[in-house]
This record gives sequence, structure tokens and C-alpha cells, in this order.
Amino acid sequence: MNMPTPRRTTLGVLGLLLAGAVGFAAAPPERKTIAVIPKGTTHVFWKSVEAGAKKAGEDLGVNIIWKGPMTENDRAQQVQLVQQFVSEKVDALVLAPLDHKALVQPVKAATAKNIPVIIFDSALEGQAPKDFASFVATDSEKAGALGGDHLKTLMGGKGDAIILRYLAGSASTDSREKGAITAITAITAGKAGKAIKMISDNRYGGATSAEAKTAALNMLDDIKKAGGVFCPNESTTLGMLLALRQAGLAGKIKFVGFDASPPLVEALKKGEIDALVVQDPRGMGYKAVEAAVKVLRGEKVDARIDTGAVLVTKDNLAKPEIKALIE
Amino acid sequence: MTAPVAMNPTDRLSGLRRAKRVLAFVAPLLALAVVWLGMFAFAPGFGAWDNQRLILTQAAIVAAAAIGATIVIIAGGIDLSVGSAVALVTMFIALLLNRGAGPLVAVLGGIAAGGVVGLLIGGLVVGWVLPRLPLSPFIVTLALWGALRGVAKGIGGNQPIYVSESAGESNMGWLPWLMNGSDSGLLHEIVPAVWLVAACGLAVTLVLNRTILGRRAFAIGGNEHAARICGVPVPATKFMLYGLAGLCTGLAGVLQFSFVPQGDPTAAQGLELKVIAAVVIGGASLSGGAGSVLGTLAGILIMTIVDNGCTKLRLDNWVQEIVTGGIILIAVAVDRLRLRAQRAGTS
Repeated sequence: MNMPTPRRTTLGVLGLLLAGAVGFAAAPPERKTIAVIPKGTTHVFWKSVEAGAKKAGEDLGVNIIWKGPMTENDRAQQVQLVQQFVSEKVDALVLAPLDHKALVQPVKAATAKNIPVIIFDSALEGQAPKDFASFVATDSEKAGALGGDHLKTLMGGKGDAIILRYLAGSASTDSREKGAITAITAITAGKAGKAIKMISDNRYGGATSAEAKTAALNMLDDIKKAGGVFCPNESTTLGMLLALRQAGLAGKIKFVGFDASPPLVEALKKGEIDALVVQDPRGMGYKAVEAAVKVLRGEKVDARIDTGAVLVTKDNLAKPEIKALIE
Repeated sequence: MTAPVAMNPTDRLSGLRRAKRVLAFVAPLLALAVVWLGMFAFAPGFGAWDNQRLILTQAAIVAAAAIGATIVIIAGGIDLSVGSAVALVTMFIALLLNRGAGPLVAVLGGIAAGGVVGLLIGGLVVGWVLPRLPLSPFIVTLALWGALRGVAKGIGGNQPIYVSESAGESNMGWLPWLMNGSDSGLLHEIVPAVWLVAACGLAVTLVLNRTILGRRAFAIGGNEHAARICGVPVPATKFMLYGLAGLCTGLAGVLQFSFVPQGDPTAAQGLELKVIAAVVIGGASLSGGAGSVLGTLAGILIMTIVDNGCTKLRLDNWVQEIVTGGIILIAVAVDRLRLRAQRAGTS
């Protein structure tokens, strides 16, 4: 019979799609293969991590598979990816866990199958090297202290300071805030008894810069009294900046923020922000893969690897190594 | 039609119709076979049993939700709130466990919670919740899509609920076993969740094809007005169908919790679209009156296989998204062509 057979068309087109897909397929792996699983794939931060991870792969002669969850922040999908790479028997896994608990079981399963796992960026419950090989991330408390210490110096070790916190329960920013407050209020050597006082340290900016701006405007009275301000992440720094501008205080108060985005770097150039603490996502990607390769080669790796943070100021902005971090 | 006219025309027609019905039934399975074979041929390591086992496991959550959606879509409805409902169910299960409930109570409670959400949707759609104000299921479930997730977030204060431990022993008991399976044996090779979903699919198939409720679902989806004139109690039927679908959503929530053992208000975002895509790939019509659980399951397996295979082929996420979109488009286009051919055949 000569009926139209749409089904056959489907199959044909499906076949074509597959054939097309195969065109993209990578060459069969001969070298060691390391799967790197980020929290997401579209944020600028993860793009830099990817660049670092792939560079490490090139330098050290391993294949890097870069694969994040299709939907950003989907824990279940990240678990699925870990399971799939384990069943595929990749040589090592490098994982930025979306949740400090949800990924424990899948990582245990990988370790049980002798696939070494490097945790990076965010913590996972458990102990290195028993539950996973190493934890590679910025030491948030140190990074916060770096900024806090600079603010203290800018303020000459005296006066009042305030901090606009990020979100209750966010582990990395909690540590940054803790590190910063400790550093700001530390008594300067030789100046016994004199220290900076935190006149506000319990306000939270919330998830977006709009919320942070509102929160900052609500604390304007304190800000006017203070000589210095610290913010622990991108959204609070931007919100605070916008509030200071609105109140005509930008540039008149010492201001140390966190993370670099184009508007923050602009403000730094204009002198509205004195310094930004910036992480090194590229270095993080590189060091995480490097740690995995070391484990595969049977070399010893530290249980905790700090990928560091740097202080960006108007003065060092032009240096190439700093430029690479903020672009 | 250029078929010979020699034989009895009614014989010929019914034979043709039967052939078409078989084709409509078999087509999603054929497409599944093609996709599977394609991946088997080209994606390295795809064919390993370990990977097949993984595909079945990973399809289970969406499958449970999609079995429910098949009922709703056959009856001419739609459910956009299923992902939010799943998140709410995981929160409810975590709450139950933290209040000292055992795993069995938590599972039954989770399924019941799904059922209650289903009845709420049904009640709103037929105008029982807001008296004499029936609303379109699209609007009702769009509202609940946001509202249910809001409730889920509110329950946990914007945070996941982690299940507490007593004496070093987690309160969730055997719940993770549903998706993780046993260490060996049949329940290792095919995890309990897959058996549960299969049983659920079989039960719903029986309801749809062997009970009055099922007949009425097809009748309402095919032509609601005609069904009403023929004496079908439309509101009561829809109410029950949404409730039944809700139980399937509840099961999906239970499996989601088993997979990521915590109450997670952000879980299953976008699940509703995956579910609808699977049902459509499986040959159901979004205008109602057609569809089968078997087709839906084939649709889900196709999407899961594409996901799995694309990862094996080392395709970027964006390529994978395009491939999945292409498959949905093709499936719907084919459905249209089939309908057109059918109309041409019967006129």
C-alpha cells in the first residue's frame, strides 16, 4: 500500500539527529579521563573554573569532561551525573557539590569503586582523605580577614565600622564575615586598648542587590556614624554602593567589598570603593584537576588546598595577573 | 487513498483503522528502539548493563509523575504544578520523619499529600472549591505552580529540611533503598522504585482501559459536551481523575525524596515540562481523548536515553537541549500528520 508513512519520516529524522550528534563525539580516550562537575554551567564564575580545569588537563595530559546539571542548582541532576560517571568508570571525579549532604552518598559510592573524588568550591560533609581525596577551595575566613585587615589599615585602626551581611545560613559568606569582623576588631600591635568598634554587625542584605540596597538604606544612620564599611559578596557590595551613591556618601567612607563585576570595578576606579577581595576561580579549576591527577599518579595531596584570594585596589588594577582575575 | 476497491469497503476501512491503531500504539516503541539502537551504536559504553540499570532508575521519578499526567491529559486537562507538588511532597515527608514517623508512614503520607493536591486541582477545575466557578486547568495549575512551591519554601523557611538522626541512625530508615536498590540480587539489578512505577503504570492502564472511570476519561477528553449529554457525570469524574493523578505525583515525590533524601523546596523545577513532553512523545494528544501509559513510558525512556547518551557522547548541555527539543517537535508533528491521515481516511 502506498500510504504516507509519517512514522518512517520520524525515524529518518531521528536517525539524522543522531548522526549529527555523533559528528560532535570526542575521539576515543586513551589518556586518563577526569570528569569535572560544576554547580552550573552558565555563570561567569563557572566559565573561569572551566577554563582553569581545561588548561590543567592540557598541561598534565589528561582528558577533561566538563558537565554540569542541565538546570542550575538541581541537586537530583547532579547526583545523576555523579552516578553516570561512576558507572562509566572515569578515572577520577572533580565535584563542586550543590548541597553539603545530598551528594555524600553518591561520593561514597564513587570512593567505594576506587574512583578518587576531589571536592572543590563548596564543602561536603565528611573528612578528607577518608571520604574523598581532597577539598580544594578558597579559605573563606582567610579571604574575609584579608579584606577586614585592609579596612582596618585604611581606617587607621580606630573609629566605628559596620558590616552588611549576606544571607543567614550561607556557609561561605558566614566564614568571610567572621574572618572580616575578627580582623577589623583586632587590636593593633603597639596600640594597646585601641580598637575599631563594630556598631552594626547583624543586618543581612538578602539574595539580590536590590534587597541589599534597601537594607543598606535602612541603616544609613549607622553608616553616617561609621568610618568604614565591609560587604561579603557581590550583591551586598553592589547594593551598598548604590545606597552610598544615593545618600551622597560614596567615596567619603572607607569601603571594602567582595567579588568583581563590571560595576564594582568601575566604582573601584572612581575611588568609590577602596578595595575588593577577589577569588581565583580559574586557579581553583586548575588546582582541583591538578590534585586529581596527583592522586591518580599515587602522589600525596593535602586534605585541604587553599586556592587563595587577592586584594584588588586602584593601584594594582593594571597588573596583568590582577586583570586576569577581574575580567 | 489508492488502495484497491475490490473488497467490501467497510471491511477495508476497519482493517485500515485497526492497522492505524496498532501503528499509533507501536510508533513510540519503535522510536524508542531507534533512539536506543542509535546510542548503542555510537555512544561508547552506552550498552553496558550497569548503564541500562541507571537509565531505568533515573527515569523512575519522571515516569511516576508522567503516568499521572497521562490520565489528566487524556481527559483533556493539563497539570503545570506537578514539579512544585513534588517539592512540597518531599518537604512533607521530611517533616513527618522529623516528627518521629517511620518510613512507611512517611511514604503513605507523601502519596496521600499528592492525592490531596490532586483533589484540590480537581475541585478548583470543576468549580467545587470556588462554588459554581469552574476554571481552566491551565490557569488553576499555573496558579498552583507558584503557590505550592511557595508553601514548600515557607515550610522550610527557604531552606531544605534535613532529616535528623537519633542515636547515629537516620530516621529515614529504608527510604533511600527505593532508589538505591539492594546490594545484590534482583532488587539491585532493577531497583524497587522501578518495580513500583511499573506496578503504578499497570494499575493506571487497567483503570483507563478496563473501568467505567477510564472510559469516561476518554469520553470527556474526546468531546466533553457530547459526554455530558450522554449522561457522563463530568465534574465527579474529573475530580476523581485529578485525585488519581495526584497519587501518582505523590509517588514521584516519594521517589524524589528517596533519590535526594532531604525535603528540598527547589526540587523538581521544570519537571512539569519534562512530563508533558514525555506524554506528547508517547502519542497522547494535548487536546485530549488519546494517549496511553505505555506510550508515555516510552516517551520518558527516549528522553532519559537522550540525556544519558548525550553525556556519553560528550555533547555540551546546549546541544543536548536542542536535540531534546527537536525530538519533541518531531513527535508532535508526526501526531498531527497521523491525525490528518486519519481524517482523510474516515471521510
